[in-house]
Amino acid sequence: MSAKDHFIIIGNGPAGNNAAEVLRENDKKARISIISTESFSFYYRHRLKDFISGRIPAEDLVVKHYSEYKDKNIRLRLGQFVEKIDPEKKILYLKHMEKINYTKLIIATGGSPRILPSLTIFQDYLTMFSTYSDTVGLRHRIEKAKEIVVLGGDLTSFSFVKSLVKACKKVSFLLFNDAFWPISLTSEMILKIEENLKSHNVATFFNDSVEMIKKSKSKYTIETKQNNKIKSDIIISLMGMIPNIRFILGSSIDTDRGVLVDAYLRTNFKDIYAAGDCAQIYNPILKNYWVSIGWMNAEEQGKIAALNLLGDSKIIEPPKEEIFEYEGIKVNTSWWKKF
Amino acid sequence: MNNNPIKEKVRTNTILYSKDPRDLSAIAKNIPCQNACPANTNIPGYIRCIYEKRYGRSYDLNRMYNVLPGVLGRICSRPCELMCRHGDSDLGEPVSICYLKRSAADLKSPMHRIKENLYESSGKKVAVIGAGPSGLAAARELSLLGHKVKIFEGNGKHGGMLMYGIPEFRLPRDILNIEVENILRLGIDIEYNAKVGDNITLDSILKKFDSVILTTGCSLPNQMRVEGEDLEGVYNGLEFMKMINDGEKPEIGDKVIIIGDGFTAMDCARAAARLGAKDVKVNMRKTEEFMPIDEKEKFEVKYEKVKFYSLVDTQRIIGENGKVKEIEFLRNRLIDSATASGGRAAEQIENSEFTLEAETVIIAIGQQPDPTSISSKIKTDGNWIKHKKDSFQTSVKKLFAAGDCLTGASNVISAIAAGRKCAHEVDNVLTGKARKDNVVRFEMINSTDRQRSFDFIEKIEIPSLKFQDRFKSRISEVETGYDGNIAYEEAKRCYLCNLKYEIDVSRCIYCSACIDVAPRDCIKMVEKIDLKKDPSGKLIETQDWNKVTGIVIDTSRCIRCGVCYEVCPMDCIYVTKTELIEYDLEG
Repeated sequence: MSAKDHFIIIGNGPAGNNAAEVLRENDKKARISIISTESFSFYYRHRLKDFISGRIPAEDLVVKHYSEYKDKNIRLRLGQFVEKIDPEKKILYLKHMEKINYTKLIIATGGSPRILPSLTIFQDYLTMFSTYSDTVGLRHRIEKAKEIVVLGGDLTSFSFVKSLVKACKKVSFLLFNDAFWPISLTSEMILKIEENLKSHNVATFFNDSVEMIKKSKSKYTIETKQNNKIKSDIIISLMGMIPNIRFILGSSIDTDRGVLVDAYLRTNFKDIYAAGDCAQIYNPILKNYWVSIGWMNAEEQGKIAALNLLGDSKIIEPPKEEIFEYEGIKVNTSWWKKF
Repeated sequence: MNNNPIKEKVRTNTILYSKDPRDLSAIAKNIPCQNACPANTNIPGYIRCIYEKRYGRSYDLNRMYNVLPGVLGRICSRPCELMCRHGDSDLGEPVSICYLKRSAADLKSPMHRIKENLYESSGKKVAVIGAGPSGLAAARELSLLGHKVKIFEGNGKHGGMLMYGIPEFRLPRDILNIEVENILRLGIDIEYNAKVGDNITLDSILKKFDSVILTTGCSLPNQMRVEGEDLEGVYNGLEFMKMINDGEKPEIGDKVIIIGDGFTAMDCARAAARLGAKDVKVNMRKTEEFMPIDEKEKFEVKYEKVKFYSLVDTQRIIGENGKVKEIEFLRNRLIDSATASGGRAAEQIENSEFTLEAETVIIAIGQQPDPTSISSKIKTDGNWIKHKKDSFQTSVKKLFAAGDCLTGASNVISAIAAGRKCAHEVDNVLTGKARKDNVVRFEMINSTDRQRSFDFIEKIEIPSLKFQDRFKSRISEVETGYDGNIAYEEAKRCYLCNLKYEIDVSRCIYCSACIDVAPRDCIKMVEKIDLKKDPSGKLIETQDWNKVTGIVIDTSRCIRCGVCYEVCPMDCIYVTKTELIEYDLEG
């Protein structure tokens, strides 16, 4: 590789950072840039729930400081939005009207909060979070709040509820078991979850759904199908993540739920790779496509994408099936590794 | 001077007409919505009328080209919105053209007076076979042109796919019936249950009429050609929708699998959900991105808890005791297409088979025309009717064909446009002369009251029933429509691309005030205009003031905000309303 090469990684999560590290280790000359929409440096996303509930300070979120990128001659562009990719001309279009040429590209944009179609009409009343900037304002709102409703549709919602209880909040929990992410809950699991949450003094609403949300001054009232009326200062929706690929649509790069890549993490365009929570790969063991979840999978994919970008031919091996335990629930999975 | 006023630009006060190909080409580029509409509907014109709260006039403008505005305002595939300038990447979302069309139909006076321009009777008789959108459009146009028209409809009701293919929760039948009745009131006869090729012959019709137009659409469902297609519980999409629209309630069970990804497949999925199915999956060979439906329709289907299953290929339908039990699929991957048109194709992944349980399978993978069932005399190429190039004339003398039966399954607005164009061709043959032509009309106007703030109004989605209210009745219309206030706000968003802002170079003092306030790079310092490559001219820009020969508004970038007009100290910016109109050649 030569000094004329410009490798760009879109996304500053575990996949993007590991890819940048591997690229720099193996190529001392090339220009390497990471572009991230976030204004905060690389951080532990799974610790955000503890930060919101006031259990840890912002410093404890940080994985890597800005200076560490500088030391490795990796240019970190924070707070910049890639709006469009032109894969034929190898140009990125940024929201602030800048165009950037690249020689090779890794898309590692991760995921963003999923909102259920049935809840979209109440979208303005719902609070979702997945980034540090989402949580900064939320932390203050939660400090002031007395009653909080959590619409739970993913595994992290359980641990988040417990963080709120520890912060002395009155918490109500509505379970969305028919749209749960990323696994299907069995009736045994549901019973165990309910038992577990009740033991933490959480008001649980299972086998129910949101019929209407009304706002009066700063207070919300959720009316449910079972005629329950739940008051709340904040409604937090946690329904899992969907690959963050909206900006790619229409670029001719193949997408489905995520960016479609082969076992080498190559997209349908030469010199464009995808890794981490935004990449969708066919898994011959599952006989299905999968979007990986979890820190370790993302790091592994970042590494493989970087090596292949540099000319290697490494295949991403589907993770072995294993029993994963989270908040007392055992999940049989082959694609989720711990956070 | 030529007697025909439209052969050259002729100034009549401040109105000019032109049929210069450069003007026609320029209007196609400058009004992208109208150009994308197969019927060339005057979209900026009717949206402006809604802004002025002249709903009846808006409806009439629509109805000139699209005879079923209330219907199309609900179910049009909206090629216009894809091209709307407001949808450019830096300009936000397209204007809700289709919803506005509907609002004109909904908000006009209930006793609105329909005006029709009738020609004298010609004494000629024309038969139209099929009362679908194409047939109805052809019949109406021929009737206006003075010919006596009779429609032969094979079913017991009119409307074709609109009546039998589209569910009532998308298109209430009273809306369809009123608009069809308004066509038939022109004195058009209609004979129902007249199945040409079965209880009546094409020959007998050809003998009695001066011309015959075939508009029988596509009625032959495409087959999967897989094992198990004949099992109980397997339907084709059209057959399923016809049952639903006839009021039947087939037993479909809880698990329904739809194969196909077009509008009919979506209608089947949503109809299945209304019949009580708990688990409805739409299975497609490629991905959502390649679905031939718009994002709004995708959202509505998902909102009703229908799941999309992408990258799968049906291998066989497995039955038990003669009834469908499950489907075996293979996973697909996307590859480069080997066809000349390029694009992406689906390829099966080896050893990727899996099964899904199903109590009902609905195959909605399109349909084809079936001309040989009408008459063996019609020459075909496979199932396609042979016809003269750029003409609707078939191999049979006096027999024309239009709409889906000629082109294959398309969309309703294309069928209406084709029916109308075919009627003009038939009229030319019957009268021996062309009576209508497209021209560009220019009208000098002072300005508009459009404000820059209108550009920042966000697109307003159409109000719709809540989830639980959608299933109370199988026919409750899901989209409830704009009220007057919402329609007014949405109408404000239209840039009015039919307005052309130009700078009079002879009066311009090159102060560049217009460039300073321009919201985007729409006003350019130009060295010269290259007229050789493009009939509408290619601007050769320069940043060097010594080379500037003019300051020019680039109409392809202009969003008609009017701020340049406001700031010009010399009043050298003028505005022209440019419209593509159908001109009566007989005056």
